[in-house]
Amino acid sequence: MPPIENVLVVNAILFAIGVMGVLTRRNAILILMSVEIMLSAVTLNLVAFAIYGKVEFGNFTGVIFAFFLIVVAAAEVALALGIVVRTFRNRATANVDEVNLLKW
Amino acid sequence: MSATEVVFYVVAVLTLLSALGVTLVGNIVHAALFFIASLGGVAAIYLILTVEFLALVQILIYGGAVVILILFALMLTRARERPQALFGNTRPLGVMASLGLLTALIGAAVGSKWVEPADRDSIEPVPFEAIGDVIFTVWIVPFIVIGILLSIALDGAILLATPEDEES
Repeated sequence: MPPIENVLVVNAILFAIGVMGVLTRRNAILILMSVEIMLSAVTLNLVAFAIYGKVEFGNFTGVIFAFFLIVVAAAEVALALGIVVRTFRNRATANVDEVNLLKW
Repeated sequence: MSATEVVFYVVAVLTLLSALGVTLVGNIVHAALFFIASLGGVAAIYLILTVEFLALVQILIYGGAVVILILFALMLTRARERPQALFGNTRPLGVMASLGLLTALIGAAVGSKWVEPADRDSIEPVPFEAIGDVIFTVWIVPFIVIGILLSIALDGAILLATPEDEES
């Protein structure tokens, strides 16, 4: 297995790519995909710590945390896509910068 | 360098490239396909880290449910048929912010002292039985709560997506 630093660096790059997508894209669905990439990076980080510290600490709670994270992410995607579809029906756009009703 | 390590680097590069594709590519359907590829890469990294359980969960939930949902939303919002700018006008700022975050994260990952077993290749996989045992004994309350959360979220999604004239 690779050293834990390399796994963490890969996860850091994955997270930064997700952040870049969230900050630069304007389509709501693309932003959602980038958020999912960020969540994947965080989950991978939890798993890496759980696996590499399994012998030292005698448990693998991080794996269970990652499982719960994946379930919450699935719920979040379902809700967010419902909101996107509803927004598209009301405002005829899926771009976040055109949905400015609440913007002062 | 062991064989697992080589496989890890190859898979990691592929995953990162597909994630870059999601954020950079100009066609929204191609971005969705890159998204599927990056999720598969993450599942492969789970396999390399010896957590078969999470790899299966990742493929079932992300590869199955989430990707289908996203493709449905893409078709429903017909973003494909109207060619338009996919990037906001604050793009340079976003790229700079993510690069700054990347530097900080890599600095923290490389500069810290982590707990690591002496012989990394001797790490035993987490058995399915142990995971099931822990979920249904120690973590049973969070497990029930997350089940309730999931059903409420799905109810809410159905309610949100229902057309208004059918609600009454």
